[in-house]
Amino acid sequence: MVKKKCVAMLLAGGKGSRLNSLTKDLAKPAVPFGGKYRIIDFTLSNCANSGIDTVGVLTQYQPLLLNSYIGIGSAWDLDRKDGGVTVLPPYSESSEVKWYTGTASAIYQNLNYLKQYQPDYVLILSGDHIYKMNYESMLEYHIEKRADVTISLIEVPWVEASRFGIMNTTDDMRIVEFEEKPSNPKNNLASMGIYIFSWNILKEYLEMDDRNPDSSHDFGKDVIPLLLEENKKLFAYPFKGYWKDVGTVQSLWEGNMDLLGEDCELDLFDQDWRIYSVNPNQPPQYISSDAIVKESLINEGCTIEGEIDKSVLFQGVTVGKGSIIKESVIMPDATIGINCLIEKAIVPYDVKIPDGTVIRSFDDEIILVTEEMLSGLYPTY
Amino acid sequence: MKRKLLGVIDATTYHEDLEDLLTHRSLAALPFAGRYRIIDFVLSNMVNSGIRSVAIFPKMQYRSLMDHLGAGKNWDLNRKRDGLFFFPSPFVDSDGNRIGSFEHFAANMDYFYRSTQEYAIIANCYTIFNMEFRPILDWHRHAKCDITEIHHQDGSSMEMYLIKTSLLIKLIETRHESGYTCMKDIVTAIQNDYSICHYKYNGYAVMIDSIENYFSTSMKLLESDVWKQLFLKDQPILTKVKDEPPTKYIKGSSVKNAMIANGCFISGTVENSIVSRGVKIGKGAVIKNCIIMQKCHIDENCYLDSVILDKDVKVEAGTQLTGTIRSPYVIRKGTRQGALMNS
Repeated sequence: MVKKKCVAMLLAGGKGSRLNSLTKDLAKPAVPFGGKYRIIDFTLSNCANSGIDTVGVLTQYQPLLLNSYIGIGSAWDLDRKDGGVTVLPPYSESSEVKWYTGTASAIYQNLNYLKQYQPDYVLILSGDHIYKMNYESMLEYHIEKRADVTISLIEVPWVEASRFGIMNTTDDMRIVEFEEKPSNPKNNLASMGIYIFSWNILKEYLEMDDRNPDSSHDFGKDVIPLLLEENKKLFAYPFKGYWKDVGTVQSLWEGNMDLLGEDCELDLFDQDWRIYSVNPNQPPQYISSDAIVKESLINEGCTIEGEIDKSVLFQGVTVGKGSIIKESVIMPDATIGINCLIEKAIVPYDVKIPDGTVIRSFDDEIILVTEEMLSGLYPTY
Repeated sequence: MKRKLLGVIDATTYHEDLEDLLTHRSLAALPFAGRYRIIDFVLSNMVNSGIRSVAIFPKMQYRSLMDHLGAGKNWDLNRKRDGLFFFPSPFVDSDGNRIGSFEHFAANMDYFYRSTQEYAIIANCYTIFNMEFRPILDWHRHAKCDITEIHHQDGSSMEMYLIKTSLLIKLIETRHESGYTCMKDIVTAIQNDYSICHYKYNGYAVMIDSIENYFSTSMKLLESDVWKQLFLKDQPILTKVKDEPPTKYIKGSSVKNAMIANGCFISGTVENSIVSRGVKIGKGAVIKNCIIMQKCHIDENCYLDSVILDKDVKVEAGTQLTGTIRSPYVIRKGTRQGALMNS
């Protein structure tokens, strides 16, 4: 194998249980987002656009669709002669099957994958967040600071700081303290879960962590504190820009709504930083003479005969005459009949909403439509 | 599984009446229906009919066609065996001396000699249709004709032919002796040694040979029964895929009876139109009965009625352009159209 300067490891094994029925049969990184994409498209596109051409994707939970979606990586320009994308599921060794029990152990079990490329640096990412970032800039920063580990941080609102892993730094951005979900945060710089390790440090500390039977083998909870204890050089890389964790039904909906409006923070139309995905290849959308479309995002293959207001519609969605879709997210190939009203809801892929259905939220809680809900409304469903 | 049919797409045709849209591209590469090129229809039909070997014979400006087709990946034709073959013509037409398609085929006989498929379907590149060819092949074999010509409902030729590959080879090899320069010559000859059968196709099929019918056929796409016949889920029209985001509708926009491709940013009014990918329509702009090709920018408060904008056209704020349905106003690729320009 050809030596690589930096290899990325993308942790995509999470269950995303707070997305309820959306992740019952689907890994969280494969959840649809933004009218056309899947959550993992953002991280993969960031890798491709940052010039990182070797990416290991660690899958575990319900990997079938995610694995076939990633394929050999051609969609993100990662089908390369040397490197490219490799899906890394858990595997059995001669003695036992080893599931990934923690983020650190998942990487540890794949050191052989990394060793092939003799990397100088390893970039550790998760496939859970929506953001655009040039990892090459972060790598240059890591090299300049002669850091052992660089952690990307983002400023969060003070009121939310206690939900995150908070870093306390010197003026020089050297990390001196790390607090996981502190009740009285000293700082509002939160860890984004993006790490760049110098290869030797990664190897050494993953091995050290693996030997510790009391460890939960998690980067944030175990490895980072261990590195700080040992006085290793950890630096904070400040990130400015849109970054959204879409791990709950509410935040997934918010993230989609964030894409509407003329000047939204996450620009999907930026030709210099394209978000790649596996394109659905459907005919252009058709907006009928009866349709009214206001402030929305609509993908190809849709047939719209009703009113769409402040909503995100994925590919192949049909909306019948007289129906009103308001502040909602309608996922691929869903069919909305005639004279329906869907307000503040997420309609998952392939769901058929019968004629005349009304689904609307009266408090601000976003409704995730399920088959059970529909069969409750229509007992013969 | 042994394949019975290979596909030949004769993309050497040039229709003068489409001149304004063909200065930079061959007819086969003419954009259509918002995200396709005309050749996508016949090519997709071939692939959907189980054909895995397709030879395309283009002529003249074939750069954009070649770029569009690539190695055939988007049509599942980038294969180790067979696949997509692109045979640019080494000949240049001189005025008044049209070179027949057999001459172009003859320059690439190896393709035919090496093919293992027993039958060939030879089609033009400019028909808009969605057709499965296998039933026609079965019919042809059953009818035991030398050549089957496919006809429209009204009896006019669709300029598509089914023939045994071995016979096709013979026809190409003997073209100078026989005087037949193309398939059309043979089927229209008053007397010849071959049995010609006609297969009537009752589905929707239109040949694009003029600005007028390019425009009217595009507008037909807005009718659901035409749409339903062309865009079938089981027989999709495949095309080169682009990474465009979903289309964004901005406050104040109004869109009615329109077909809109991805990547558009719409702040104005669009009615009865076909809008291709990456088009930006500014606030207060009104587009009616138009065909707007990729990446055009239509600035604020423009008024366009019955206009065809080729790729990359920029229409400056406040410009008014009006054509008619019979004679739409065509603006060539890359033009910067100002409000005060009078051409």
